Amino acid sequence: MTLLDEREMVEQEEAVNPRLEKRARRAESWRGFFHAAPAYVYLTFFFTLPLIVVYVFSFASRSNTGKPLLQDWNLDSWSKLTEPLFREIALRSLWLAILNTALCLLIGYPFAYWIATRASQRTRTLLLVAVLIPFWSNFLIRTYAWRMLLDSDGMITRLGEWTGLWGQLLFTPTAVFIGLLYGYLPFVVLPLYAAIERLDWTLVEAGRDLYASGSAAFRKITLPLSKPGIVAGSILVFIPSLGAYVTPDILGGAKTTLLGNYIVTQFTAARNWPFGSAMSGAILIIMLVATILYFRTDTRTI
Amino acid sequence: MTLHQGAAARPWVDRVLAINGWVIFVFLYAPILMVVVFSFSASPNVGRWGGFTLAWYDRMLGNELLMSSLRNSVIVALVSTVVATILGTAAALALARYKRWVGRGTFDAIVYLPIIIPDVTMAVMLLLWFTSIGVGLGLGSITLSHIAFNISFVAIVVRARLANMDPAMEEAAADLYADRWQAFRKVTFPLIMPGVLGGGLLALTLSLDDVVITSFVQGPGSTTLPVYVFGLIKRSVTPEINAVSTLMMVMSVGLVLTSLMFQTRADRKNRQ
Amino acid sequence: MTGKRSAVSLHSVTKRFGEDVVAVDDVDLQIQDGEFFSLLGPSGCGKTTTLRMIAGLEFPTEGSVRIFDEEMGLRPPNKRPVNTVFQSYALFPHMNVAGNVGFGLRMQKMDEAEVVRRVGEAIDLVRLSGLEKRSPKALSGGQQQRVALARALVNRPKVLLLDEPLGALDLKLRQTMQLELKDIQHEVGITFVYVTHDQGEALTMSDRIAVMEEGRLAQVGSAEDVYESPKNLFVAGFVGEMCHLDAVVVDSGSVRLNGGELLRARTSAPNGTAVTLTVRPEKLHLYSSTAEAPPDRNAIKGSVVRKTFFGESMEYEIQIGASGSVEARVENVPSMHRWEVGDQVIVDFHPEAAMALTE
Repeated sequence: MTLLDEREMVEQEEAVNPRLEKRARRAESWRGFFHAAPAYVYLTFFFTLPLIVVYVFSFASRSNTGKPLLQDWNLDSWSKLTEPLFREIALRSLWLAILNTALCLLIGYPFAYWIATRASQRTRTLLLVAVLIPFWSNFLIRTYAWRMLLDSDGMITRLGEWTGLWGQLLFTPTAVFIGLLYGYLPFVVLPLYAAIERLDWTLVEAGRDLYASGSAAFRKITLPLSKPGIVAGSILVFIPSLGAYVTPDILGGAKTTLLGNYIVTQFTAARNWPFGSAMSGAILIIMLVATILYFRTDTRTI
Repeated sequence: MTLHQGAAARPWVDRVLAINGWVIFVFLYAPILMVVVFSFSASPNVGRWGGFTLAWYDRMLGNELLMSSLRNSVIVALVSTVVATILGTAAALALARYKRWVGRGTFDAIVYLPIIIPDVTMAVMLLLWFTSIGVGLGLGSITLSHIAFNISFVAIVVRARLANMDPAMEEAAADLYADRWQAFRKVTFPLIMPGVLGGGLLALTLSLDDVVITSFVQGPGSTTLPVYVFGLIKRSVTPEINAVSTLMMVMSVGLVLTSLMFQTRADRKNRQ
Repeated sequence: MTGKRSAVSLHSVTKRFGEDVVAVDDVDLQIQDGEFFSLLGPSGCGKTTTLRMIAGLEFPTEGSVRIFDEEMGLRPPNKRPVNTVFQSYALFPHMNVAGNVGFGLRMQKMDEAEVVRRVGEAIDLVRLSGLEKRSPKALSGGQQQRVALARALVNRPKVLLLDEPLGALDLKLRQTMQLELKDIQHEVGITFVYVTHDQGEALTMSDRIAVMEEGRLAQVGSAEDVYESPKNLFVAGFVGEMCHLDAVVVDSGSVRLNGGELLRARTSAPNGTAVTLTVRPEKLHLYSSTAEAPPDRNAIKGSVVRKTFFGESMEYEIQIGASGSVEARVENVPSMHRWEVGDQVIVDFHPEAAMALTE
């Protein structure tokens, strides 16, 4: 091939080349979309659209059967959110959820810390399996266990009567609280354990080298560095606690109606679907905002 | 990694931590053990021991409704797990390995939402949706709902696994003449397999466990085991419930232990 | 006589990431068949990106990559006659050594008996015989590196690409592996394209070196060329140690230092240009008086301000009045004169060893 031909060929290819990379990038883009497409379509159809429907129905009016009538759009359901009954239930639920989260963290952190730092490699695996078993066990069953124990003739009730320390706990807020704590404690232990286990302990050693006492090193180094675990754990507990239904339904009574129960009632006995939708919609917004804010402040302090 | 990481030379801290640890273990296990123990109690009063018997298990096995709801649970769980695992794994690959495609940002946001939403809200959403589009409520609607929330859980687990994998692996496979499908089959998939199995197990458990969403979207005819048991509990507390509970617990524990066994066997094989 | 073929040729290759990041800027290279060619430069200079474009793991934004005169275009890595040794080795943890090494052959649908034979050969070549059944996790860093090498070489590629393969090894092991790689390259006879930031490594192993800075080629030449005749300050400073003194060009062949000293050096800049006079430390000789220094060379007065012991040599930092300071390396032999801090010395060097360079 002569020099002239070669030069021509190169020039031809150079003319094509600026598009080469773009073609490659477009092919990559296609492949990514193709992988996600089935899940994307499915979630759009069975998540995003249902989400929109909830808000749509919240503005609908209520028919005799309680189902929403897609006419006479109004804000009745949303205005019901300002009623004292709802406010009472919402505050009670919020309070219980916060209390539960705090206590779970308070109890769970030393527990996770113990497993991560005081157990040998082999013991650690065994202990983790031991924590995993309640975690994987059916939530309903674990709640039922307390129903059984707090029953009028249940063991805990009899223990209370025998020691004189407490009476009938069932169907009181205390029972619900115990149930929530018991139910969600394993949820907080696992992310905490993961965060603590991953810690770079040379940083703590450096702190001690720089004259920090044991508790100061813990407060200023270990604790802040395990923050991702704390954040993850608290979200895993707070959100389900706020929307708890099974626990208050089984362990609580009429006096301890929480948000979860109240919403479900709208779709059963109370027959007010639009109101149920409005409440669900409101909870969703609050939780989304709270989660985003929580994540933002977390990264900012780090 | 040393044994006593970050440990001050103060034994009382160790002791307090250990005591706290064991107390919590007792707290976690005692109630469950009580449930199991009292499933063998002859007295219908769940508070007092009435002598050893297997009668409640007999009753449970003879309970047609219960058995059929168990069957339903297993079918729904298996189907929804398989579908959710496939879709979730593909989604995880899309998010972890492909950095730029149409709608990636939105998808990344959407895929994690079902996890942070309480199930009551999810239940309401799906009930309203099925009613609106005129889909009949039954085992089908239950399965569709389970898939909806399970995709996210599988995606998270697999994505974590993918993040831990050196992307150079797939580059090396391509460099060694593997086309995309071969590289996936021979390199990527074996390496993310523990994540896929873990995600699948999580999906299976969540599906078997689910009460609220299922109770909302189920039809008049059929139900799943946890929803059935839920109804039983609200009606009356008898040791038959203890028997079912024990059965359900054995199922979950069995699942976990089997998966752990597979996991350790795989790890041991990799180590050789 | 047939001239050496061009194994890899890059023509005006540019790689942009997004709007503002230019990783590789208009690079032209001809790598000859059978040579050991190094891409040398600091982190972020574009050497790895260039290598990846040859491998097919990236595609050029502009320009063309050709391997033995075949335009590669959009060809994915599995369609190119090259193989790569990755920096992290990227050994497949779920396969043992034999499985890793044979992977490429099996992907090419080679007959199983042949695969076993070739894998055996490759493992022998890198001297890992006996470790076929081991898992990569059970190997040392040096052994893992050799598996990566065998895994690539077993495919008999036309060009072997190596991305800083010795970076994770300790000094002694690195030095051994450098010699081994060179031997293997001679034995196998194929072109090696080697990316490194270690200039000593590049100098000892390469036939030719391309020094890169911020995506551009600073200089391409043999190891000796790049070392003895750097084209600019960056190359002079990056490859090997260098003394530098500010100076001004007086005429072609002479420069004047800040303190007024007139020196003879290799210059190409016009008169009056501000330049940096560069000399390699080992080219400086120290004497106690002008009488001892050989005639017809540069000789300037200075005093010793610091001495550092390097084992095989001693380095003296010498202050040259107001003109700056230089470092002189003296080989540690029995006849070596030991200077002390504060000694007045004459620094002497051949004009050919001094280069006046600009940016």
